Amino acid sequence: MSQSGGWRLLAKKPTRKRVKVSFDVDSLGASFHVHHVLKKCAVIGLVLVGLGAGRAAEPEHSVIQILTFAQQPDWGAPWRFEPVRQMGGSGFVIKGKRIMTNAHVVSWARQIIVRRYQDPHPYVAEVEFVGHDCDLAVLSVADESFFDKLEPLELGDLPKVRSAVVTCGYPAGGEEISYTRGVVSRIELTTYAHIGNRRLLTVETDAAINPGNSGGPVLQDDRVVGVAFQGIRELQNAGFFIPTPIIEHFLKDISDGHYDGFPQLGARVVALENPAYRKRLKLADDDVGARVDSLLPVPSTQQALKPDDVLLRAGAFPIASDGTILYQGNRVSAAFAFQTAQNGESVSVQIWRDGKEMDISLPVYVYTGDQNAGYQYGALPRYFVYGGLVFTPLSYDYLRTRGGNPSDPSNSELYYELYYRPHETPKKTRKEPVVVASVLADAVNANLGQRGRGLVDMVNGVRIEKLEDVVQALQTNTNAFDTIEFLPNHNFECLDHSQVAKANARILETYGLEKDRRL
Amino acid sequence: MNLPQTLRLGEGIRGMHYNIEGTATLWSAVGERSGDTALGGVERGGIPECSSPFQWAPRGGRLLRAAVLCLILLGLALAPLDAQEARAHASSVWERSIVTVEVARKNYEFYQPWSTQTKQISKTGTVVGEHQILTTAEDLWDRTLVRLQKGGRGPWTIGQVTWIDYPANLALVTTSDTNFWHGLKPAAFGHGKPVDGALQIARWRDGNLETRRAEFTQFSVREAQLSSLEHVELEASSEIQAAGWGEPLIANSRILGIVRAQDGRTCVAIPASFIQSILTALQKREYHGLGYFHFYWEPALNPASLARLKLPGEPRGVIVVNVPQRPDTTTPVLKPEDIILRIDGFDLDIQGDYNDPEFGHLMLENLAMRQRWAGDDVKMQIWRDGKPMEVTYRLPRFNYTNSLVPYAAYDQEPDYLIAGGLVFQPLLDSYLQSWGPEWKQRAPFRLNYYNNEQPTHERPALVLLSQVLPDPYNIGYQEQKCLVVDKVNGQHISRLSDLRDALQKPLDGFHVIDFAAGDSLQRIVVEAGEAEREATARVLKRYGISQSSRLAHPSEIVAGKPVN
Repeated sequence: MSQSGGWRLLAKKPTRKRVKVSFDVDSLGASFHVHHVLKKCAVIGLVLVGLGAGRAAEPEHSVIQILTFAQQPDWGAPWRFEPVRQMGGSGFVIKGKRIMTNAHVVSWARQIIVRRYQDPHPYVAEVEFVGHDCDLAVLSVADESFFDKLEPLELGDLPKVRSAVVTCGYPAGGEEISYTRGVVSRIELTTYAHIGNRRLLTVETDAAINPGNSGGPVLQDDRVVGVAFQGIRELQNAGFFIPTPIIEHFLKDISDGHYDGFPQLGARVVALENPAYRKRLKLADDDVGARVDSLLPVPSTQQALKPDDVLLRAGAFPIASDGTILYQGNRVSAAFAFQTAQNGESVSVQIWRDGKEMDISLPVYVYTGDQNAGYQYGALPRYFVYGGLVFTPLSYDYLRTRGGNPSDPSNSELYYELYYRPHETPKKTRKEPVVVASVLADAVNANLGQRGRGLVDMVNGVRIEKLEDVVQALQTNTNAFDTIEFLPNHNFECLDHSQVAKANARILETYGLEKDRRL
Repeated sequence: MNLPQTLRLGEGIRGMHYNIEGTATLWSAVGERSGDTALGGVERGGIPECSSPFQWAPRGGRLLRAAVLCLILLGLALAPLDAQEARAHASSVWERSIVTVEVARKNYEFYQPWSTQTKQISKTGTVVGEHQILTTAEDLWDRTLVRLQKGGRGPWTIGQVTWIDYPANLALVTTSDTNFWHGLKPAAFGHGKPVDGALQIARWRDGNLETRRAEFTQFSVREAQLSSLEHVELEASSEIQAAGWGEPLIANSRILGIVRAQDGRTCVAIPASFIQSILTALQKREYHGLGYFHFYWEPALNPASLARLKLPGEPRGVIVVNVPQRPDTTTPVLKPEDIILRIDGFDLDIQGDYNDPEFGHLMLENLAMRQRWAGDDVKMQIWRDGKPMEVTYRLPRFNYTNSLVPYAAYDQEPDYLIAGGLVFQPLLDSYLQSWGPEWKQRAPFRLNYYNNEQPTHERPALVLLSQVLPDPYNIGYQEQKCLVVDKVNGQHISRLSDLRDALQKPLDGFHVIDFAAGDSLQRIVVEAGEAEREATARVLKRYGISQSSRLAHPSEIVAGKPVN
């Protein structure tokens, strides 16, 4: 066996069971008996060796190369798609004849090709389940012969800090499988870049994790302790992997055939370290308890908690005054305690309120109120084209497509509407703010001053809460003109209603739109 | 103001007369050019050997021929140098109108408002009247010393600012030293643009008068240097470097403007007409500060919008879209969906421009400052609800406090209040600008966004917890910064004076500080009373701060207010 690099750790010794053999050597019958026993031992031994030989296959044999051809929509022109991109990643076989990988490896896939270790044959795979908040996905392969002689990798536990791990995958820079080795540097909650607005448990390692490693296993003692998934350019020797608690949560979630996601407490909890604040809340200065600072619009949380409640314990975890819990020897954000539950499950929480302890059972749910503020996948962007005006819901994906600095005059109102108004004036917040993303030039709209990035306030006197309101307001208008008003300064544009009716079909044909809407 | 006679630049010496003080003849002009002795030691004002042929005619043709020969030789010798000498001569005239203004001023670090640095700036001033030097107002705020120098070299004289208007970005400087004014001559203002587009920019540099060519580009309405007001400005292209400090823009021996900024080759100047109208009104005591149009409008580019508003005929005018609350008590006369057709007799086109007789097509904002001042009435012909009507719009006075986030608070030290290490400051644009040249992109988004919001009666201004100076008293809050304060001890906070008052009324021995609703920290609590006092004293000592607060009067800078 090669002794180079990380191979050493991959050496898999066959396990052998001790077999107690009794020997009777005092007679011929005994010798026959011995022979029989020995024969039995030999058979057992061969079976065990055979088993051991099956398990002796190196784990890399279960590491899969994934090639995705993806095409994501154009949020600025939502009926269109961007050019097809080719992406490479990694995955590994898990129980149930499935492949686990990252969600970002297979998002917007038009085709997924998977290859076995040193096997030239390409197989076509499909996404079976995907969790964009945790950046995990499970693939199936129609041709089940793909899984022949492939052993699923077992999941291990959360690795200890300073312990050694090995990554296995197909990073850029070559065609063959690649291995890197490092130690576990840190374990805490960090932002998962794929979705952009969620923080989940993450392990940092100095094992090199490069583009293409995504989705590949991170191994310790031949067990999967994580899925490699992201890095930070500014940091040297720092890669990140998704640890098994997150993987297990994901697998349990999809066991019912549907993926829900990671629930959240629904409250902003902050450190309670200042002695004066603790004193005011009649709380001992003992480094226990973090404070509820504000609540998200989650009914169950709003019913159960109040600002200035102090969280003392969540489930089995005491909450420290800095807002952390101790999880398997690691100080991590207390938010993790609520993420271990499945959507809709209750977490027992001990709180401090008005100078007294209280125990409550708090159901926690996946929060979707800020969906538009993160990256969105899977569902194609909604739109409605009328008179060449392209109406679409405001989203971070749209803003990202348009580019520019948030403080640019053309962007600032949109960023404020998406990221700040829901917190500052929740009662005035629209369920789904709508923008005029662009204007498909035609004679009917030739004189419009507003040509894009316009946040829609009213259409024909109707306040717009969601895209359907735009459709309704325009299609039921009986006046000669359609009037669209924009924020923040209430400038407005008018269209001749009868002219638009004639122009719509012409515009669709000119710009190659099959339909004027995707709702 | 005393105006010189016509000074024709660029004209050669050949047989042309210069009217300097209405008396100079050809020879005197030659003598004055530069003390040049190349022409036989001609003295200033002296009669040269080659004097006028008419005086020597009685001696006959020989002398006449000699005179003519002198003239011819003189002309030939000087011909290639005509233009250069003309410029040099012209420059020498401007040497008597342009001075250097040096300003030493206090410079504040808005993220450490108790800390004062000094800054020294050199600008250009132009003599425009009797004992009056015109320059830009920029960097004259918080001045500690103003000095003047003429001729680009020699002794400095202490100066005084007699009048300053920050929104207009203009200032008048003088000195009581009568000797300083000897030899200085007021320059004349011009109007409009140069006939051939040729301009010059002049300033003292390293002891010499530097004059650089500039080419007129256009007049346009732009946001002013020191305010959000928009008025006409002159753009010119020049290769001069580092201009924008009050240099006169000259054409045909008159000032067409003073340069207030430079970006690449583009120099932006405050036009002479604008300046002169203010100075004239000031002299007549009719100037009450700059006014502006406080409403929002959109160009009437869309015929469908005009048709909906039932405006017949050719598309014209602009559409009012938003009429915020006025900063004064005047009842608003405009409504959303009014179409403004004419202001002060000037028709508005669908782009919002009017045709100015001096400047050409300009945006309507300039009509708030075209011979009009704050408090003046402006007649508007509008279209409302399908009918024409006339309204009288009273120009509100521009004050920096009209905005929720004031542009600046000039001539006063930055306000702040420190309580137990918590540092509170009013939110000003100058605070945001401490993030550097790209502050609009680098300063916190939410703070920047307040610039888009209007002040209200309930919330006329904003106070920030700008930072926390670490101390055991405020442990747990050391990382907090740039949080807008909503309430303290249950009391709404708009100004530092509100905060100071609220801190006098703790709640059960604690200060409860609530921040504006948002996705950041909502509340902190600290101890009141002796613990707070001790902590404040500790912080002041540890961080070298002399006083725990500085609360000036509300920052209302009255435009055009005489300094003395």
